[in-house]
Amino acid sequence: MAFQNTVASTPYNTIKLPDTLSVKGARFEGRGYEHFRNIFMQPGMLSQAAGSAYVEFGNTKIMAGVYGPRESDRREAFSNTGRLQCDVKLATLATRQRGRFGQSDQEREMSAALVSALSGAVRRETFPKASVDVYAVVLEADGGELAVAATAAALALADAGIELSDLVSACNVSRVDGQLLLDPSAGEARRQDGSAMMAMMPATNLVTHLELTGTWSAAQATEVLQLCMGGCLQLDLAMRASLRQTAPG
Amino acid sequence: MQLAGQPQAPNIIIRGSGSSLAAASVQERLESQYEAFSEDSFVCVGDIVPTDMQEGFLRGHGTQVVDGQLMATVCGRVERINKLVSVRPLRNRYSAELGDVVVGRVTDVAGKRWIVDLNARQEATLQLSSVNLPGGVQRRRTAEDELNMRSVFEEGDLISAEVQALHQDGSVSLHTRSLKYGKLAGGQLVTVPANLIKRQKHHFNTLPDMGVDVILGCNGMVWVAPNAPPPALGADGEPEQAPPRPPATREQRAAVCRMAGALRALAALYFPIFQATLVDAYQARKPGLVDAA
Repeated sequence: MAFQNTVASTPYNTIKLPDTLSVKGARFEGRGYEHFRNIFMQPGMLSQAAGSAYVEFGNTKIMAGVYGPRESDRREAFSNTGRLQCDVKLATLATRQRGRFGQSDQEREMSAALVSALSGAVRRETFPKASVDVYAVVLEADGGELAVAATAAALALADAGIELSDLVSACNVSRVDGQLLLDPSAGEARRQDGSAMMAMMPATNLVTHLELTGTWSAAQATEVLQLCMGGCLQLDLAMRASLRQTAPG
Repeated sequence: MQLAGQPQAPNIIIRGSGSSLAAASVQERLESQYEAFSEDSFVCVGDIVPTDMQEGFLRGHGTQVVDGQLMATVCGRVERINKLVSVRPLRNRYSAELGDVVVGRVTDVAGKRWIVDLNARQEATLQLSSVNLPGGVQRRRTAEDELNMRSVFEEGDLISAEVQALHQDGSVSLHTRSLKYGKLAGGQLVTVPANLIKRQKHHFNTLPDMGVDVILGCNGMVWVAPNAPPPALGADGEPEQAPPRPPATREQRAAVCRMAGALRALAALYFPIFQATLVDAYQARKPGLVDAA
C-alpha cells in the first residue's frame, strides 16, 4: 500500500531505463508490482484558465486546463444541458521520436475517451447552453497518458469550480509474463499481453470508463479490476489532499 | 504538492514589481483586523458534508444527496443558514443578479444590441434602446441610430453597466441609462475572483485621499481610474454628459497602479474586497517599495 511520495516533480529524463522487467518481486524503479510511480500533482497552474492542473506519474507529465462554462463557439440547437468538449494534445516533444504536426488518430481517440471518462462526473445540467472546454497537453509520454490526462482534467475541473458529482481518478494495469503491474511505464507496457485502464469516481463507487485488452480469465479479470479500483482510490486521496492544500485562506 | 508530510503554504506570486513583498505586508496588516475563515469548513468534491446528524436539512447550491447523505459537488466552503446547507466554491463564474453593477467588455456589435463579455456563463446583451444617446436626447431609436452604434460603443470597449433583466434561459440584459454608466477609459482594469466582491451599497467608490475612483463590478472586473472631475451642470441644472478626461499626471498614474496592486494583493490573499479592505491594503505599502517620484 506504500505510496511513493515526491517532494518535487521529476526532472526530464534524458536516459531511459532498459526495457526489461526486473526480477524478485520488484520493478525497475525499485517499486513493487502494486505501487505507483512517483506522483506529483498541483492544481491551479495556469492563470488564464478557469481551472488547471499539472500531474506527473513518473515521467508521464500532463498539463490540463479548463475553460468555461462559456458561450459555445459552435451554434447549436437549444439544449438544457451544457456541452463538455475535450482535446488531448501530444506535444511534439513528448516522445523519443519527434511527433508530427496536426491531430493524430491517437489524439482523437484519447480525446473521445477523455469525454467518456469525465462526462459521468460533470453535472452538465448546471450550465445549460454553455460549454466547458478541457485541454490536456502531454508534455512527456511514458505510459498511461490517458489515465494521467483524466486525473489531471478532473483536478482542473474541480479547481475551476465546475459542479461534479465526484472526482474522477484513473489508472492503468498491465499484464507482463502473467504478473499484474499497476501504473506501467511505457517500457513495461510494451511487453504487456493484456491491459486495463479504468476511470472511476471512488466516493460514489461508480466506474466512468473502462478499457480492457487481451484475453482474461474470469478470476484474473476480477483481480485486475480490483487492482485498478484500489489504485484509483489511492489517487483520489492524493487529489483531495492537493486540492485542500492549494485552497486559499 | 506532497502526498504526505508537512502542509505547505501556497506560493503567492503577484505580477508586477516588488509585489510579493507588498502581498506579505498586506496580509500582515489585514489578518490582524479581519477574521480569516477556518480550514475546517473546506470540503472537496465528493466529500460528505457534515449535517450534524440533523433530521431535516435542505440541499443548497453545490451539493447533492447520495444515499441520504449530503455530498459536495464543488470544492469550497460549507455555509449553513438554518437548515439550508450549501457549498460556496472558491472560484466560480459570475452569476448575475438584478441590479448588479458590472464592468464588461464589448465583444460584438450585433443588430440593435451590443454583446458584452462579463466573464459569466453566457455573454450579456446591451440593447440599443437601453443606452443613453449622445447628447442625452430622449427619442425612439431610428435606423440611423442603429447604423451609428459604433459611435457609442465599439468592439473592445470597456463599459460599466447595470443588470436590467435576467431571462429564463440564463441570459442577461444590461442597461447604461445613467450618466454614471458608460465607456471606461484612462484607467486600469483588474480582474479578481467574482465571489470576492459582495453586493454592497456603493460600487462606485471615489477615494479623494488617494485621488482614484474604483468601480467594483460584481462580476469581478474592477476599474481603477484617476478621480473624475465633477460633472458640469448644464443650463437646466441637470448634469451634462461627462467631458473627456484630461490626461493623467504621473502622480495619478502612480496612485492608480498602487490601488491596482492593492487589489491584486487582496485577490491573491483571497480577502473580500470592500472599500475598507481596499483602503487598508493600499495603505499597507512598505515605504520604498514603489516610488512615485
